[in-house]
Amino acid sequence: MTRSRDEIELDLPFLVNGTLDAEARAEIEAALAEDPHLAAEHEALAAIRSGMQAEDTKTPGEFGLARLMRDVDRQTARAADHRADAGGARRGVAPFRSRTTLWQAVAAVAVLGIVAQSYFLRPATNLEVNVAPAGYVLAGSEERGALLVGFAAGATEAAIRGLLLDAELEIVAGPSALGLYRLDVLDGADVETATGLLRSAEGIVESVENVRN
Amino acid sequence: MSENHHFLVQQVGQGDKQALAALYRAYERPVYRFIVSRLNDPHEAADILHEVFMDIWRVAASFEGRSQVRTWIFGIAYRKVIDAHRKRARVTVTDEVPETGDVAEAADAGFAAKQEAEHLRYCMGTLSDEHRSAVSLAFYEDMTCAEIAQIAGVPEGTIKSRLHHAKKLLLHCLSGRIRGRALA
Repeated sequence: MTRSRDEIELDLPFLVNGTLDAEARAEIEAALAEDPHLAAEHEALAAIRSGMQAEDTKTPGEFGLARLMRDVDRQTARAADHRADAGGARRGVAPFRSRTTLWQAVAAVAVLGIVAQSYFLRPATNLEVNVAPAGYVLAGSEERGALLVGFAAGATEAAIRGLLLDAELEIVAGPSALGLYRLDVLDGADVETATGLLRSAEGIVESVENVRN
Repeated sequence: MSENHHFLVQQVGQGDKQALAALYRAYERPVYRFIVSRLNDPHEAADILHEVFMDIWRVAASFEGRSQVRTWIFGIAYRKVIDAHRKRARVTVTDEVPETGDVAEAADAGFAAKQEAEHLRYCMGTLSDEHRSAVSLAFYEDMTCAEIAQIAGVPEGTIKSRLHHAKKLLLHCLSGRIRGRALA
């Protein structure tokens, strides 16, 4: 036997769920045959697993899938609008959000045609270059937030809120699928100071990355 | 199966809704069961399940296949539930293992509890989220220690330790409830 009794005890759940390799399984089964206490624990764990496996869980099912498809469609449509807006903005023309606004815009152009044409066809001035119309996000524009932060699994919202207030930070995006948040300093606050505070907050912050550096 | 799911994620990354639906059908039940076992709230669990699959839709293109699809999806769900706990500011911790109670006696009680789903649900509900997650992934999903560790983002030793403590707490809780019922 190469492992201690304690190590074998820690592996019992994986003997019960059948995920140990053959060698480990044989070693633990041999130990169970000699140790009634371990055997009783194994039996109890097996009973717990059986009870859990027997539970009937009612899931959202097809309703959940329909909801998912609906929201995916909405998001896809929004993304398409966004791309159209950004494309329009890059070309220096007004973005169209729907047929209604399209026709309103056409009507407006009919009235203001010559004025509009002369405006859009003239060369851009230095001041106009790189300036997007208010309310539109250009494709490829920089993501908000100076810091990419992962919070510790056990950190409470109250603890996180207190830390962010101390460090004069706000959450501007997240959590991402990886559980990371984008944070930015409030006006007038120093990002280096804030980063230092986050890094010293053990138990609340798991990782900090300054994505602007 | 695993390769097939990997292919589905790639398809989702290219905007294939039918692939997303196939992935949903394959993982809806286990992921929902995992979430609801940690929240005890079917409505909130349904919302989080929805968020998990919306995230999959958004980020599938960046899935590099370095982990199994199953651990990747459960990892997303794991973090979503932590976030939900934070929003609730809920602290459900029963990390102290009571000294009373005999393991062999508790083991008998645990065996009897095979038929006692209600007791089991109750006792699972007394565990901390970390303990509950580990038990859920080990006994609902039959995952390896390495898979659970990857999902929770901790070393395998931590998972073994969590399961060990969770087991003691569960057996103690089950023993107490069943003994209490016998005396009633």
